[in-house]
Amino acid sequence: MSNEAILTLNQLVIGYGDPLSEPITLEVKPGEIIAILGPSGIGKTTLIRTIAGLVRPLSGSFDLNLEGRGGLGYIPQRLGLVRHATVAHNVSLGARASIPWSKTMFQERKERTYEAIRTLGIEDKAAEPVRRLSGGQQRRVATARTLAQRPQLMLADEFLGELDQTNVDIVLGAVGKLVEKGTAIVMVEHHEDNAKNFATRIWEIRGKQFHDMTIEEWNEHTSRGEEE
Amino acid sequence: MKLRLFAILAVLFFFAWRTLDGLVEGDWGRLEGGLSNLSVFFRESMWPPNWSVLEARSYPVCEEDIEFFCSVGYLGMMETLKIAFVSTILGFVGAISLSSLAARNLMPMWVAIPVRIFLSAVRSLPSLIWAILFVIVIGFGPLSGVLAMTFYTVGYLGKLQYEVFEGMPNDPLEAGRAMGLSRPSILMNIVIPENGNHLLSQLMFMFEYNVRHGTVIGIVGAGGIGYYISTYLKFLQYDKVFALLILIFIVVVLIDLLSLAVRSFVNEEGDVRKPTWLNMLIQARKQDSESEV
Repeated sequence: MSNEAILTLNQLVIGYGDPLSEPITLEVKPGEIIAILGPSGIGKTTLIRTIAGLVRPLSGSFDLNLEGRGGLGYIPQRLGLVRHATVAHNVSLGARASIPWSKTMFQERKERTYEAIRTLGIEDKAAEPVRRLSGGQQRRVATARTLAQRPQLMLADEFLGELDQTNVDIVLGAVGKLVEKGTAIVMVEHHEDNAKNFATRIWEIRGKQFHDMTIEEWNEHTSRGEEE
Repeated sequence: MKLRLFAILAVLFFFAWRTLDGLVEGDWGRLEGGLSNLSVFFRESMWPPNWSVLEARSYPVCEEDIEFFCSVGYLGMMETLKIAFVSTILGFVGAISLSSLAARNLMPMWVAIPVRIFLSAVRSLPSLIWAILFVIVIGFGPLSGVLAMTFYTVGYLGKLQYEVFEGMPNDPLEAGRAMGLSRPSILMNIVIPENGNHLLSQLMFMFEYNVRHGTVIGIVGAGGIGYYISTYLKFLQYDKVFALLILIFIVVVLIDLLSLAVRSFVNEEGDVRKPTWLNMLIQARKQDSESEV
């Protein structure tokens, strides 16, 4: 696993018209898990969407150091699933994004798709249209799609939201396998407990201030806040 | 809220009435006796329908075992159905290629706007005018009909399709883009599957529309049952025209039922199985037999 930064933010200012942040300069290395915390409407989703290339930065820039196709995985807040298509079709989109044209393309896509489906425990739903699944199952499908993609950087916007503890464990277990292979994760999270248990770093947005902390620093910061 | 809606409808109705009054220049006398004229025309010229249109034509000699297959009604209707089928499929393929270029959420404005203008231009000519143009260019016959209706289908379906594409949720598109899927891949794997129900529904609607309009374009010589209707009209054989109109009505109703059945397989309502009378009867009988045991 190379230790070069996968994502570098250079004086990045995000927002739609008005800036939502002061210039942000940060680096994300392979295998890091970053949870973005902060109150609603502060710019967490805008930051994720900017890195995903869906919103233009107001100023500054960001560099993605990704190799090959499909290096960036993205789970939007509303999951971005094709509701009328089957679970297998949705998961295969991940494999489709990262496997280049070759003789073995179809076989490889199929294998990756079913491996991801098995990992998330949704084999019995593979042929069902996504619209028939519960919210938790749909989140598993979105995770399986990213798993099949095997990206080097995964962006996820509240993908653990509304999940019960069993589903959180399944999803985090699956994503953990990606991290072991060097995937870095940047996720927006509302539940501080999930962030503490899973992340290696916390980006907290307060006002327009951006704070980058290790988990230890975050724990210290929150316990100090409680004492006060 | 209801009162406001009623007031708006009343105002609209009043303006429509005033506009109509302006159009007829206040001379409503023409409507007087219209209904009785229609009644006389119907009783004396159209009724009863002449079902000889479902018997074999005298020439060419019928070689089929069943005479019906050599009849004007069958041959004309089949030709209309074939023209409608071919033009709907060709038009659908053309429309889906163009509508994906015309949707603003799939393409940049500099691509979408010219394609929209092109689709509007194609749509602005009704299928009848297209048929007249093609009859002039390539002559009488079903090929003119197919081309006329294909062009109209491209213009009409193209608009319906890009409106559906633009109305789809944005998050699957954004996910696809961020993941690095190509534009054709997003179209084939996200846009078309997500809107499959609408596309299928529009396809069935267009087929039904083309069957109905296939009868009209036949009148200008572009093939189909309309050709026979036009001939009978010229010879004032309104009873035969009436029989053919009944035939068209039956076929359109059958296509509508078929369309309903096909769509029920793919729409979201299909997820919840509605009880049918047959199911309920079978269920009731089962319960009866169980209680007897």
